Amino acid sequence: MLADQQIKNKKKQYQYSIFLGILFFILIAQLFYLQVYKQAIYLKASENNRIRQVILKSTRGLILDRNGEVLVDNHPSYSVYATPFEVQDADTVLRLISRILNIESEEISKIIKEKQAGYFTPVRLKRHIDFSTLSKIEEYKLDLPGISIQNDPKRYYPSGVRAPHLFGYLGELTREEYESRKKQGIKFGEIVGKKGLEMIYDTELRGVNGYRYVEVDVLGREIKRLSDKRELLDVPGQNLHLTIDAGLQKFLESRMDTIRGGAIAVDCETGGILALVSKPDYDPDIFSKPLSEDIWNSLLSDQNKPLYDRMVQSLYPPGSTFKLVLAAAALEKGIITPERTETCVGFYRLGTKTYDCWKKEGHGELDLLGAIEQSCNVYFYTLGLKTGQDIWAEYSKKFLFDKPTGIDLMAENSGLVPDREYLDKKYGKNKWSRGLIANQAIGQGDLLVTPLQMLRFTMILANDGFYHKPHVVNFREDVISNKKEWTEIETKKIPDISEKTYKILKEGMRRVVQGERGTAKGARCSGLEVAGKTGTAENPHGEPHAWFLGFAPFDKPKIALCILIENGGSGGAVAAPLGGDVIRYFFNSIN
Amino acid sequence: MLSYNKLKISEPDYIFILCVFILLIAGLTAIYSASFQLDKGDMQSNFYRQLTWVAIGLVFMIVVYLVPSRTLYSTAYLFYGISILLLILTLFSNGDGKVSRWLSVAGIQFQPAEIAKIGTLLALARYLAQNRRNLENVKEIGVSFGIVLMPFLLIIKQPDLGTSLVFLAMALPLLYWAGLSAFKIFIITAPILVLFASFNFYSFFLLMIIIASVLFYQKKSLVVSLLLFVINISVGIATPLLWNQLRDYQKHRILTFLGMEIDPYGLSYQVIQSKVAIGSGGFLGKGILNGTQTQLRFLPAQHTDFVFSVIGEELGFLGSFIIICLFFFLLLRGIYIASIIKNRFLSLITIGTVVVLGFHVIVNIGMTIGIMPVTGLPLPLLSYGGSFTIVSLALIGIILHTSARRYV
Repeated sequence: MLADQQIKNKKKQYQYSIFLGILFFILIAQLFYLQVYKQAIYLKASENNRIRQVILKSTRGLILDRNGEVLVDNHPSYSVYATPFEVQDADTVLRLISRILNIESEEISKIIKEKQAGYFTPVRLKRHIDFSTLSKIEEYKLDLPGISIQNDPKRYYPSGVRAPHLFGYLGELTREEYESRKKQGIKFGEIVGKKGLEMIYDTELRGVNGYRYVEVDVLGREIKRLSDKRELLDVPGQNLHLTIDAGLQKFLESRMDTIRGGAIAVDCETGGILALVSKPDYDPDIFSKPLSEDIWNSLLSDQNKPLYDRMVQSLYPPGSTFKLVLAAAALEKGIITPERTETCVGFYRLGTKTYDCWKKEGHGELDLLGAIEQSCNVYFYTLGLKTGQDIWAEYSKKFLFDKPTGIDLMAENSGLVPDREYLDKKYGKNKWSRGLIANQAIGQGDLLVTPLQMLRFTMILANDGFYHKPHVVNFREDVISNKKEWTEIETKKIPDISEKTYKILKEGMRRVVQGERGTAKGARCSGLEVAGKTGTAENPHGEPHAWFLGFAPFDKPKIALCILIENGGSGGAVAAPLGGDVIRYFFNSIN
Repeated sequence: MLSYNKLKISEPDYIFILCVFILLIAGLTAIYSASFQLDKGDMQSNFYRQLTWVAIGLVFMIVVYLVPSRTLYSTAYLFYGISILLLILTLFSNGDGKVSRWLSVAGIQFQPAEIAKIGTLLALARYLAQNRRNLENVKEIGVSFGIVLMPFLLIIKQPDLGTSLVFLAMALPLLYWAGLSAFKIFIITAPILVLFASFNFYSFFLLMIIIASVLFYQKKSLVVSLLLFVINISVGIATPLLWNQLRDYQKHRILTFLGMEIDPYGLSYQVIQSKVAIGSGGFLGKGILNGTQTQLRFLPAQHTDFVFSVIGEELGFLGSFIIICLFFFLLLRGIYIASIIKNRFLSLITIGTVVVLGFHVIVNIGMTIGIMPVTGLPLPLLSYGGSFTIVSLALIGIILHTSARRYV
């Protein structure tokens, strides 16, 4: 029985083995047919593989002003691409394209090597080529396998508003940036926002790319689109509607064209920024064009720092504008009543040193309102010494001069309030003099603020302690559904400051502009009561910085603003008239 | 039947093991290449995951190799029962109406269909080993088919046409090996052939003539012959009607294979790209990491179902030929061992393993070179996949198990 089974199994072993052998022979025969007999054909097919996935680039969202005027738009523009696999060993192609683009062929090889994201992912050689380059490439298309042209829209600025610090610019995603953004599906070398709103709202502005399948010919030209089923349509980016008023922004940009400094205006009722100008700036359009290294280096090394947003990023001594903080502290703590008077003789003697008032002949006898109106230093030296370092620092912090505003712009500076701890550290424990306190009383010394913080302070005073988080984006709009996502208005109140104090400070500010002896008479507007405060901040860089803070109308503040002119001289003479112009322009435009 | 106590382990089959390792290394290399991307260093995680699965699979292989034969025999039905239970659970595990091939137990995800391959194999082998009655009884043939049909139906419902066919493929070679006569095999296969032929009138007609002739020359009773003839004709007529019951993509796959549908980007796109990849590899191949089709990702599922295309493109005819020869050797060795082992159960599970592995190899490679439909069956020892790799190595363990006990 066992023997029988084994013989039978021997027979079946042969049957099974032969059956298997036949099947495997068929496999090998077919492999031989494909790989040896037909190899040439398939090799060619693999080289000309015809079905490609084409990325449907989403349209980048526009940036518009508060009235819907387009500030940043897209323009068609063409870029030259090279497919690494096809050009890497093709010297003739490299030489030809190098001649057309006017880039050394070694440089092209370097670009390809650096930006390569895969053998078959085209690498951008040059953005925004001109028409003659484009037509040359089209002309030599047959001699340029692996070179292709794609539409990479560029930004343009139809309204005439420059505001480069607001908008920022676009650029290629670098290898370092790629790491942090690859999760969003953004590919290395893609165009992304590099600064400003373009960067902060990059995800919202860019939308989502789609794709579809196309059949291409040997030259990579699309011959046929393949069915709609496998397509994924692109989702256009959202439009950014800003709180910026294009007219006011343009007006300020032109008025400050030759000035170093800046201006910001805010809607007191919402915290929406109406205008934000920082000068000198740069033409945002230079980033739309091929950016030469020379231009970039000159921007970086320019002593006037045009790349800096002075309103948000830079720190300045606030000068006399800060007297309002000291006045608030002294009133709240009951150190003085508004009726208290001091006599100014043009200087203040402290020990062996004298501290000057800006008016050499002196102001005579002044109460608090008079001292604010005329910005008398002597009154505030006295007040500062009476109030003392700790209360002064406490109230500076209460008015948030050590905190950023949280505006939706980048690299905001948070200011510097020198408190006891800071001074001890800098000068040694209790080694700092009373003269230092006197200086701080008029906004000099170690104290540093950003113009944006001063603007928030102005808004706080205008609204009797209430303030809104400053923001630039009003709402984002989905261009397909027209659904709007509004920026939430975040309103807070400064605690523990009485309405009475605000009333006194505001009355002082009203007199600064409207008063007979006010320092900011240049900010007066007919038919409108304006309140403000000037500042003339001494600094080690030359002439003093000119400040003006203001809001209007006095009864029901609508606009608050802050102007800073670097080394401009007296705040009353230089900054206040400009402030008046801004307020006048604003109210003319809304009426 | 020989006593299981006499089955002692002797020398393992070293050359066989060597071949298995060469195939595993070839698979890992191809997966590495298929997952390689210049810009993404983290893409090779596929490779490391597969490496882990191979390691786990080798442990399973050794366990199967060492486990006493008696245990395999006595637990066969239990194993089968568990497999069926898991398959049923899989069908009902997804509450949202979406069918899945995966089941998650204690945080570990696996494909019960893979486990069922071993369970069904053991159960069928045990059933046929028990019933040494030359299988004249229709009931016994029926039960044998029942054993494979149960998992077949549960898996086709997942739906996984490719894997479910593995179970059908198991039945006939095992029955024939166990002693079913050639004529009975003919009777069973004839309707299946009719099924395929029925789509074309001429092929259907021709096949029916052949069937009639065989029936005539076999000189069976008129009633039996007529009955068989009528059954075959009915199948031929019913098939086109049942055709409409198939899911669209299943129809699509079969039609595409038959060249009846032009589809530049769908499934025939896969086959075209795979053929281009393999064909362009030439005799010596483009070299590892140099395959344009592979690196460009023109190949879909290139680390799973189409891993052989990567080998064809990057290692050429020579590499593909060696891989096929290694598989051929493994399977021939399995058949040989199944024929000399004196234990009927071990003989049957070994031949069953050969059938399961051989079916995968032929259907998968056939698919990549365009002579088999795209069924989604992976290639044993080479394709990426956890459950599949582990089960493939456990199956290899069965051949090793028998081989080591062949001198008793």
